[in-house]
Parts: sequence; structure tokens; C-alpha cells
Amino acid sequence: MVDLATKSLLHDKLRFLITVSGVAFAVTLVFVQVGLFLGLMDNASLTIEHLDADLWVTSHNTANVDFAHTFPETYVKRVREIPGVARADNLIVWFMNVSLPNGAVEGTEVYALEDFERWSFPWNVVEGNRQDLRRGNYFILDDSAKKRWGSFAIGDYREILGRRLKIIGRAVDAKSFTTTPLTFMDYRLAQSLNPSELRGNTTYILVKVAPGASLETVRAELRRRLPYNDVFTGAEWAHRSRSYWVDSTGLGLNMYLTVFLGCLVGIVVVAQTLYTSTMEHIKEFGTVKAIGGGNADIYSILAKQATIAAIAGFALGALMSYALRPVIQKIDLKLVIPTPLSIAVFIGSIVLCLAAAMISFRKVASIDPALVFRA
Amino acid sequence: MSILTAQNVEKHFTEGRERVAVLKGIDFAVDRGEIVSLEGPSGSGKTTFLSILGCILTPTKGDVTIDGVTASAKRLNEIRKRSLGFVFQQFNLFPSLTAVENVEYALNVKGVRGAEAHNEANRVIEAVGLADRKRYLPRDLSGGQKQRVAIARALAGSAPILLADEPTANLDSTVGTQVLEMFRALAKKENRALVIVTHDPKVRSIADRVVKIHDGVIE
Repeated sequence: MVDLATKSLLHDKLRFLITVSGVAFAVTLVFVQVGLFLGLMDNASLTIEHLDADLWVTSHNTANVDFAHTFPETYVKRVREIPGVARADNLIVWFMNVSLPNGAVEGTEVYALEDFERWSFPWNVVEGNRQDLRRGNYFILDDSAKKRWGSFAIGDYREILGRRLKIIGRAVDAKSFTTTPLTFMDYRLAQSLNPSELRGNTTYILVKVAPGASLETVRAELRRRLPYNDVFTGAEWAHRSRSYWVDSTGLGLNMYLTVFLGCLVGIVVVAQTLYTSTMEHIKEFGTVKAIGGGNADIYSILAKQATIAAIAGFALGALMSYALRPVIQKIDLKLVIPTPLSIAVFIGSIVLCLAAAMISFRKVASIDPALVFRA
Repeated sequence: MSILTAQNVEKHFTEGRERVAVLKGIDFAVDRGEIVSLEGPSGSGKTTFLSILGCILTPTKGDVTIDGVTASAKRLNEIRKRSLGFVFQQFNLFPSLTAVENVEYALNVKGVRGAEAHNEANRVIEAVGLADRKRYLPRDLSGGQKQRVAIARALAGSAPILLADEPTANLDSTVGTQVLEMFRALAKKENRALVIVTHDPKVRSIADRVVKIHDGVIE
């Protein structure tokens, strides 16, 4: 069978390139925008996902993991007494100021635990040992701090809230949505740095449920015993932390708008080029009708051309997006392109290109085959 | 028995508020294997009549019967596929397809597929003397060669009726004569009826019969 659709589409290479570029641009825009968004969202709940807690006790109405509020640390005793709780520990998450050697003041987001080893946190320590954090003026710093604080080495000192603390380790991949560098230090040390707010207080209680115990039963009991706190599962808390940034900052709206605009640009370019192509080939379509073809034959030609443009545009767009990943990584951002997103964008490209071809369908339906007799 | 008949065919067009009668009751018949030259001045209605014979337009009044089937609005497509082959003044070849693909595609549209379509396309391309040009795109063919491809496309398959609209209008005199001779020979050999709308007096030399239209009636 002679493939008129493909041959006709590839016959005018410049037009084909323009059509494919339009789709590729839209695909790249969607991949980059959604990929960056997902990367940021990953950071928004990264620490929650790496702390192996089944339940999180937070102060009432805490919006996300970064913006913590205090409550008495003694509540942890009530939690530990609940049947089915295997382990419960206080966790402080708090922003503090750091004085750098060059005189600048920067921020850090402190994660403070009594026993980091027990929670395997931070999860990727490439220099130093997290057990050394106990009871000392030490901290482990995430590698991403280099960008804001300048280079550092194990054994260096930095001044946090007026106290000189020694860097004893380097972690990687521990990031926050706020991009503030994360530091990890002993729980009592964090309290002593900011006694006015943190002495006798914690910001979270991490709960590990005993094997075989019912999570819901433990949660119900926690709620009963701590009526002025909230209790979330790890997944719920991660979702709540991500949702905060999506819903409260306009970030989600911005992403949806960009995706919408990307799709719009793609659909307009494809519709425009397909329609112009249809108009230029109108006599050919008239000939198809004159030699016995129907509208269905011509629709199938246009649909096939739209599908080819979609597939080629998707491939090019995906290739460009993957090529951008290392560039984006260099500026400490993540471009996350999960398989479901790729599948959705692929299907979306085809659907939008077919939708764009609908305008041409309407034109073709009204072709008068008698035009083949006109000079 | 005639392979193509038109009885009392009228065609009216509306131009603004005015109703213009282009064909005013034409009776016409062509036998299998017969070659008819349809002549007339510009505006006489000959192309409109050819469009009606080709089931591209429907008559305002009257009947057209093609290969034993009366043309009705619902069957025009089917009749075009099964019984008619067209040759156009502007050739109307698909520019992205080679000569042989142009012919094969027409067969595909008519429902002939695969090796059968491929072999038939090659057969007619060779019959019109373009075996050595069959892989050429239309842009690489001369006017005469393009018209040969168009004739091959019309001949491909088993359509008993061939309709040609000014097939020599875009060809020089020598090439036009060659194309007409070839067209005649192939139509006669395969016993196809051929109706040629033309201004070109050379067509008379190959026609079995000349029919003149003037102001929408046959003289």
C-alpha cells in the first residue's frame, strides 16, 4: 500500500521540521516545567521520606516540615507509653543563622535528633560518622551548602547563633524545598543554641510502630493522648508538606499555566502547519476524491500525518529534555521525568496533534472534487 | 448496449440571485470501446457535463447510467471507484509519489492492494512507455510524461469508462499527438469507452465520433 500520508509529509522537509519543532518545543516545555516542579516537590518531602517513621506528631496546623512549631518535649513520654509503639524520639527542625568567615550571615535549616544512627539519618553521609554527633559542638553539613556558604572541609568551624561548631561530616542529597542548606546536630545542642524557643521543646515526635501493631489503633490513641497535636502517617505528612508549596505559593498554578501554554503553543503550531499544508494540497485531496476516495481516506491521511508529527516531536522534545538534565543539575536543581509523566506527555502529544488536525478535517469535508477540473 | 448514458440532463447553478442553466436537457450515450470527442467553446457547459458523467457533480434533472448503474447521490463515490478513470488537464499527480506510486495509490483507493496493485501499476506504466521513468517524481518528468502517468492512472484497474478533460492543453503539438495516439491505442486494446473534452482539433483524428455542445445543448 502506497503511504501517501508519510511521503507527502516528508516531501516538504522544511514544513515537517517546523511542525516537529512546534511539538518538540511544547514537549520540552512540559517536561522541563513539570520535571522541575517534581524535582522541587521531591525536595519538599525528601527528609520525611528518608526518616523511617510510621507516624509524625506535629504541633497543631503545622503547614509543612520546614515551618515547624514547638510543643513540650515531654510529650514523647506519653507516646512511648502507648502499646504498639516500638520507638519514639523528638526531632527538632529549626532555622538558624550562620556567620560565615567572610562576615556574611546565611541561614541553615537544622535537623536535631538524640540518636541519628537509630534513624539512619542523614541517609547519605559521604565523610564523617553520624554517631559522632552525640553530645558535642559538632555538626554534619550537606554538600549543597557550598553554593551558599562557600567551600568547606571536615574540621572547619562555622558559627551558628554565635557558637563555634566544628564540621565533622559531609552529607549529600539532603535538601529542603527552601534551598536553605541542611545541617544535622545533636538534639540538646540545638536546644542550647536557641534556649528561648527550644529549651524543653521539640517540633516533632517520630514514631515507629511495633511489627504486628495496628497503625490506626496507635494513631487513634496518640490523638486521644495528645489532643492539641496532629498525627500524620509518613505519606500524609509528605503529601501535606508538598501540597503547601503547590497550593499556597502559586507554584502549582504557575506550573499548570505553563503546561497549558506549552500545549497551546504546540497545538497552534501543529494546527497552523497542518492547515496550511492541507490548503496547499487541496487539489491533491480533490484528486483523491475524484478517483474514488472518500472523506475517510483523507481524514486517515491527515490523522497519520498528525500522529507522525506528534511522535517525531515527542522524541525530539524528550531528547532535548534529557539533554538539559545535567545542565539543570549543575545549578542544583533536579529535573524529574518519571515514566508515567513520559507516557502521559506521549499520549497528550498524539491527542493534541489529532485535535489540531480537526481544523483540517473540517476543511477537507467541504472539498468539492470538481475543483480537479479547474486550471 | 451503451456503457454510459445521459438522459435529459439539466444543470442549474445559482449565481447571486440569478439561476443559470448550464446544461439544458442533454441526451448522450457512449458504447464500450468507443472514443468520443466532446467539443464546444468556453462556457458551453462541456466540463460541467463531464463532471456529471464522472459522478463528481449531480444533475439538477435527468439521469446518468454508468455500466448499468444509475448514478444517485449516495452511489457517486462507489461508481467513481468501480467504473471511471480520469485524466485531467493539469495532470493532478501527487508530487510526493513516484510515477508508479501515483498509479498504485489510485489502485489502493479503488480497493486493490498489495502485490496485485503493484503488478498492475507496473503493467500500465510500462504500457504507456514509462518503464525507465517509473521511479521518477512528477517534478522530474516532462509534461508529456506526466500526462502519460495520468493516463496510466486512469487505465489502472478495470474501469470501463475513461474521461479526459483537455488532456493535450498543456502539451506541445508533437507530444500532444503522441499522447493521443497512445491513449487511443490503449483504450481500444482494452475496449474502454473514452470521452475527451477538448478544444484541440487533433483529438478529432483519434475520435470515433465528435459531439458538439453549445450553450448547454448538443448540436
